Amino acid sequence: MISEKEIKDIAKLAYLEISEQEIEKLRKDFSSILEYVDKLKEVDISEINETANLSKTENIEREDIAKRFDNKSLIEAMPKQKNRYLEVKKVLYND
Amino acid sequence: MTNLTNLTIKQANNGLKNKEFSSVELTQAYLKKIKEKDKDIKAYISICEDLAISEAKAVDEKISKNKPLSEIEGIPCAIKDNIMIKGEKCTAASKILENYTAIYDATVIEKMKNAGAVFLGKTNLDEFAMGGSCEKSAFFITKNPYDLERVPGGSSGGSAASVGGDLSVYALGSDTGGSIRQPASFCGAVGLKPTYGKVSRYGLIAYASSLDQIGVIGKTVEDCETVFNIIKGQDKLDSTSTDFEISPSILSCHSLEKGNLRIGIPKEYFSAGLDKEIEISIKDAINFYEKKGAEIIDITLPHTEYAIACYYIIATSEASANLARFDGLKYGAQSKIENPQSINELYFKNRTDGFGAEVRKRIMLGTYTLSSGYYDAYYKRALKVRTLVKQDFEKAFEKVDVIFGPTSPCLPFKIGEMSNDPLAMYLADIYTAPVNLAGLPAISIPCGKSKNGLPIGLQITAPAFCEKRLFKIAQIMKEK
Repeated sequence: MISEKEIKDIAKLAYLEISEQEIEKLRKDFSSILEYVDKLKEVDISEINETANLSKTENIEREDIAKRFDNKSLIEAMPKQKNRYLEVKKVLYND
Repeated sequence: MTNLTNLTIKQANNGLKNKEFSSVELTQAYLKKIKEKDKDIKAYISICEDLAISEAKAVDEKISKNKPLSEIEGIPCAIKDNIMIKGEKCTAASKILENYTAIYDATVIEKMKNAGAVFLGKTNLDEFAMGGSCEKSAFFITKNPYDLERVPGGSSGGSAASVGGDLSVYALGSDTGGSIRQPASFCGAVGLKPTYGKVSRYGLIAYASSLDQIGVIGKTVEDCETVFNIIKGQDKLDSTSTDFEISPSILSCHSLEKGNLRIGIPKEYFSAGLDKEIEISIKDAINFYEKKGAEIIDITLPHTEYAIACYYIIATSEASANLARFDGLKYGAQSKIENPQSINELYFKNRTDGFGAEVRKRIMLGTYTLSSGYYDAYYKRALKVRTLVKQDFEKAFEKVDVIFGPTSPCLPFKIGEMSNDPLAMYLADIYTAPVNLAGLPAISIPCGKSKNGLPIGLQITAPAFCEKRLFKIAQIMKEK
């Protein structure tokens, strides 16, 4: 079974917090899923290439022409703003 | 007067052209029905009444001037709430986007606007399209219109329930591992997942980019074809999109009329785990096509049993990267934390409060399978098995023109029934996810009902870019 430390490490990499109560459930869920996906080890893949995407064609390029967004709607989408600047909470580093 | 809320696109189009009713009347009939009936079904997250009425008025103006109409002009539809309509909320059924208003149109929406579509509202889904029952929406659970105690399927459960429950004429959904086809089958509707790349994904909130595809849920095969023809095509804003077409001579080489249509039946699709009633119904449909003159050929897709494992590694890996963008600073929801000690603490709080448990779990799974030390063992291996799944289909299509099978191994289940077994829920994608891994087009069509009156869906899969063949063959079903 996946360890408590591993769960905590993954959460940190994913920028997520997990509570103590969640850890046990996640360990259980993770373990059952990882155990299941381990069946891929039965498959002989020694001669097989990867399929990372299914695009029909090579990259299609377009001219790099800047298209301006209506910045009013962008600013309105901000959770908080002051004088058209994004307002965030004051952060004093102590990392 | 005709019932305005059970028409197909074609019938509504004829009614509008013949001035039997106006687009505003049609739209208002749906808005009224939504007010009455959606309290129970809960298909919609938000209703865009003002937008819908103004679009309908513009169409009526055109009709009064006897201008020609597109096939979908003035006809009300629903849009899954992970596809953006400018000026309307787009939440992906997540708290992190609860207050987000889209600042641009998805390409499919732009195309539909150009064709005069009327947008009724945005439909519920499993948060970020991660789920198969609509139970994972951060807001509420959508009910199956055939039985309110049961799920509508997912993740496009709201879209399917809106079509099945006559709360829209048709709807757009997105399909990453079956999210259009499975809910369509649960709600007695037709669901089309096009070939990967055939419809632009620009403006679709990404879940797993190499698998995601926008498609249509409608009342008939013909309706799905109509909408597909409007939304398809290459888009300079989605570099994976393409205009590629299969030559008509290849498409029509085999057909029922010529008596040489070959239908493949994968033996792996009828093994343990398939509901008995579904099996009977699917075999009945196969017999029907055989009587119509199709040749039924047993085939094998030997890597089917590995497809779900492969799918969940790839989907969660891509999701962990796609969802890394949500930090809750520039848009979306900010956590109420006071005096954060570091910028990271702010990110952690915003993301933890904003994402639901299933989304957090999938981000973590994907983070794990992409992390150094596990990348080769999981992600890279899954990409190689994906090649084998794809090759299975390619080999099968050397011998057959289409593949028939069930859409889902189980009937629409009761709300809460599957929630204690996350793996069982994942395994329910067994017939649909391989199609996404291979990037193929597939359609789910109603083929019968269980003894309790629950809809059953037949899935037809075709080679890449052979949507026309799918439509033609699926059409025949209505003669049954």
